[in-house]
Amino acid sequence: MPNHGRRHSRFWPLAGRSILWRVPALVAVVFLILPLLAIFLKVLPQGHLWHTLQEPFVTQALRTSLITSLSSLALTAAFGTPLAYALARRRVPGATLLDTLLDLPMMLPPTVAGVALLMTFGRRGLLGPWLEALGIQVVFTMVAVVLAQSFVSMPLYVRSAQAGFRGVDPELERVAYTLGYSGIRTFLRVTVPLAFPALLSGAVMAWARALGEFGATIMFAGNLTGRTQTMPLAIYIAMESDLTTALVLATLLIIVPFGCLFATRFFARRRNYGTYA
Amino acid sequence: MLEVALRKRLGDFQLDATFAAPGGLITLFGPSGSGKSLTLQTIAGTIEPDEGRISLDGQPIFDSSSGLNLPAQKRRVGYVPQHYALFPHLSVADNIGFGLARLARETRRQRVAELLRNFDLEALAERRPRQLSGGQQQRVALARALAVQPGLLLLDEPFAALDAALRGALRQELAQVQKRWNISMLIVTHDLSDVYALGQRVIVYDDGRVIQQGTRDEVFFHPTSQRVAEFVQTGNILPAVVERVDGETLWLKWCGQLLAADARPLAIGTPVYVCIRPTQILIVRPDRFAARERQNLLRGSIVHTDMQAETYTLHLRLDNSTAAYDLEIVLPGYVYHRLALQTTPNLVVELSREHLHVIPG
Repeated sequence: MPNHGRRHSRFWPLAGRSILWRVPALVAVVFLILPLLAIFLKVLPQGHLWHTLQEPFVTQALRTSLITSLSSLALTAAFGTPLAYALARRRVPGATLLDTLLDLPMMLPPTVAGVALLMTFGRRGLLGPWLEALGIQVVFTMVAVVLAQSFVSMPLYVRSAQAGFRGVDPELERVAYTLGYSGIRTFLRVTVPLAFPALLSGAVMAWARALGEFGATIMFAGNLTGRTQTMPLAIYIAMESDLTTALVLATLLIIVPFGCLFATRFFARRRNYGTYA
Repeated sequence: MLEVALRKRLGDFQLDATFAAPGGLITLFGPSGSGKSLTLQTIAGTIEPDEGRISLDGQPIFDSSSGLNLPAQKRRVGYVPQHYALFPHLSVADNIGFGLARLARETRRQRVAELLRNFDLEALAERRPRQLSGGQQQRVALARALAVQPGLLLLDEPFAALDAALRGALRQELAQVQKRWNISMLIVTHDLSDVYALGQRVIVYDDGRVIQQGTRDEVFFHPTSQRVAEFVQTGNILPAVVERVDGETLWLKWCGQLLAADARPLAIGTPVYVCIRPTQILIVRPDRFAARERQNLLRGSIVHTDMQAETYTLHLRLDNSTAAYDLEIVLPGYVYHRLALQTTPNLVVELSREHLHVIPG
């Protein structure tokens, strides 16, 4: 789609030149960027950033966040990929209903997600008696953090992967079958490589969402330092005592996801095979 | 030899197709939505019929009565979809070698090199599909499918996406590949020119059914129904009635005229369609009336002339007729000018008896 921009530019400058357009647009940009900038402007003048980063309070939150968010990313990819493919190829009964339901965890207030998870995995939840009989406690463990993160982030991945799979012409898969490729080999050699940019950006978005998860985590997993206290929770606690620590953690939570998202967008653009027919 | 008998219900659409064809070039011809591509998918093994039997060179690949359904991977049936579906993330060489993944690396490399040479693609081996022209894409798709040595090649509307100039060249190329590799090809098309250029054997589809099958000339010149006659653009499908049978001759009444055709066992009064292609109608020069014994001479005048690059289409209204026109005639431009038809609109035409084809109505 090389002339995508050009096609629009013919119409857009007419409106875009008007002050009625420019001023609100500028306000929106400033409003969205200024708070992020504020954190940097507040944190940079402070001298002992490196020292703060090495405090046990910070390193433990970092460690918890990394372990849980990467685990939830693994779960999301392992279970979300087959679902996304089935949805993309419309091989699911009631696909439209499922489609809508899938968007729900993204729209829900995180506190509702927290309650919902408690009502499922908590001691008095749906699966509570069974989990208890097996001697498994979910609530207030790292597993609970992973579940909370997966619950809110998996839909992001599934959405993106679904769009990616839908962009892969089923004829390509049929050709692979007739050339002797099994379903799974076709998926790995044809479908996944072609949907890869979408899978990657979905994974990064899901991971960033998991990294930032707060509401469901604090309700469902609690706020135990070294076990369930992730970076967003640590920021919340630090705000009451040590602003610098909060700012350092906040900066990390801005820079890392931004870097990843930007890198994947850049990569995805370079890897566009285009249509050739 | 390909034998197909299958039923498949898809929503409101019912496919119920039976045909058999020896090898060579086979075309499935019919309007879009008549079930041709669905038939192709069932032969490829990517869609399962509800019931039926498909066999290739005597070997069944699908048989609902014995529960046999060879997976697409094992049918040895190559598939070239519309737009060719080359793998956009792979180079030309990797596309061609895609089906050879199980071979040893060196063997594979040699086979790919051989195919690249055969299809004149050596210079393009490292290109990506989107960098290729339509003709090059077709060659890559054919090479990729033939690499695994299939027993049959399926092609779905192979020329539909191309411009007319390229279409003719690619038809020829396809026919050459068919001959050189001695492989049977089943080609789905709704384009009559494809059928004429490529269809040694033609299977005519309409609304999920096979309404005629035979050699190209049978289908073109002896359609068995009015519908097929329309599909093959017979041009003149004249509704007539059997007037009498007289030894070798069947007399048909059409438009107040009596036409003589070869005798067929038809009762007097039977409604029929008399077919004659626009290029088969002869214009009789006044000085040659007596040259030989003539039958089915009709007088009329040209009411409309449509000039194409090489041929002219004339609409002829018979004397005493009130129709917009009665006959469509196609003739080469030079004949039109030699006969000075632009200045002599009144003329005599002959519907020669051997070209008249009668379909019971």
